[in-house]
Amino acid sequence: MQRREFFKKAALTAGAVGLGITTSEAGETHQPIDNRKVSKHTFPEKRPLITYSDRPPLLETPRDVFTSVLTPNDQFFVRWHMPDIPTHIDPDTYTVKINGLVDQELNISLNDLKTKFEQVEVTAVLQCGGNSRSAFTPIAGGIQWGNGAMGCATWKGVRLSDILAKAGLKKDAEWIGFNGSEKVAYYETPNFIRELEISELDDHVILAYEMNGEDLPYLNGYPLRLVIPGNYSDSWVKMLSNITVTNKYRSLFFMDVAYRVPDNDCECEDPEKRVKKTKPITKMNVKSIIGYPTTGTELNNKSHVVVRGLAWDDGHGIQDVMISTDNGKTWDKALLDDGKLGRYAYRAFRFAYKPNTYGEVTIMSKAINKLGDEQPLAKDIKWNHGGYKFNGVDEVKVKIV
Amino acid sequence: MKKLILVALLALTPLAAQVDEKVEVPYVDFPIKMGKEFATVQGQCLMCHSFGYIINQGPQSRKHWKHVIKKMVVAFKAPISDKDAKIVEDYLVEHYGNGK
Repeated sequence: MQRREFFKKAALTAGAVGLGITTSEAGETHQPIDNRKVSKHTFPEKRPLITYSDRPPLLETPRDVFTSVLTPNDQFFVRWHMPDIPTHIDPDTYTVKINGLVDQELNISLNDLKTKFEQVEVTAVLQCGGNSRSAFTPIAGGIQWGNGAMGCATWKGVRLSDILAKAGLKKDAEWIGFNGSEKVAYYETPNFIRELEISELDDHVILAYEMNGEDLPYLNGYPLRLVIPGNYSDSWVKMLSNITVTNKYRSLFFMDVAYRVPDNDCECEDPEKRVKKTKPITKMNVKSIIGYPTTGTELNNKSHVVVRGLAWDDGHGIQDVMISTDNGKTWDKALLDDGKLGRYAYRAFRFAYKPNTYGEVTIMSKAINKLGDEQPLAKDIKWNHGGYKFNGVDEVKVKIV
Repeated sequence: MKKLILVALLALTPLAAQVDEKVEVPYVDFPIKMGKEFATVQGQCLMCHSFGYIINQGPQSRKHWKHVIKKMVVAFKAPISDKDAKIVEDYLVEHYGNGK
């Protein structure tokens, strides 16, 4: 392909959604839309990011950020559900309330959280269940995210179990509801509440007030958010205001309708014949992303390139990342970092690549976890109506000159 | 004494937010396609969300848009009349449809 054509194609792909065209064949899952440009608008405490909406704010992290394990706070993606988010919170008066089936109702201030409980840290990936949704055909309902609706941070806070122990759970306590402070436009609109079964919560679940050594940015849930390592971000409630313990599951829109996939082995369905029985998306599947080079990058033939990227799963741990530069005919192992930030963090990988040809080359990355689960090729991933959980082998197209 | 107060204040500073005043979320002028009945679309959709939400869904079928509007009314309790719901549906199909 001529150089000009190559960039023309790359530009077209980037603008596909905006222009209202699709570049793929109907029915086959493909690579998500890539290389979208960051917006000229800057949101509070953020650098310019790919912007899908201002109300509520929906911001995506560009691909080239994904070469280091920790995602900078000011480049960390943003996703809210409701139009009004508090734009000022007084840390001196803010409290989180614990009520319901507890021996003692609590109103814990930020200062108490920071001084009266054991302080713990966990490094964990936060990924939207709809990350990479633009891979699906027909176009699945929802924001057509590229690959950047995710990030990884070191979260500092207090164990949820310590707080519940302090409040004292009553014998029949079974469910815990988490309510954030974002506000709805109409009185009757359901609040963004998530419910989790007590049995699925472990000591890794924390209420975090700090992210990478700083206060949480407003748009990432200042001053306090739930952190559930290994799970998709829909349950990581932001601006946490209330924790309610119940003995009965409450029927809620964001539990019963949103963030669900077909309850079958492939978690897939026919667009014309939707599966009725669904289940929550919960645990993340194994996935990887190439942060460098990005699509459209020109590399010199015979030069020494280091391909860099990240791999993760739900905490079982990454076994290997394999790289292919010949369209998947042969695969070689990438080098993994020491993984010292724990099993819920990104694992950084690097791979020495010396191009020996001219023209367009596709670099692919495939992660395999310790269970032996590996990323499928995008084309082998079947459709689901919400476009959730895409984890196809990642691809970037570079030009060797 | 003054010194003591200063020390006390400093000890408290980690509690203050990085941005110790109201934050400002910018307004983004998403390029929605203009057409007949735009005022209804603006009135009904913009109450809760930006046009970015519409544009960034990609082109969709009538069935999809109908379902989305139903979700806004049933799940999110947006007070949209049947008449306006149909107007919005037709608008979305005309400007953001996929021909199905």
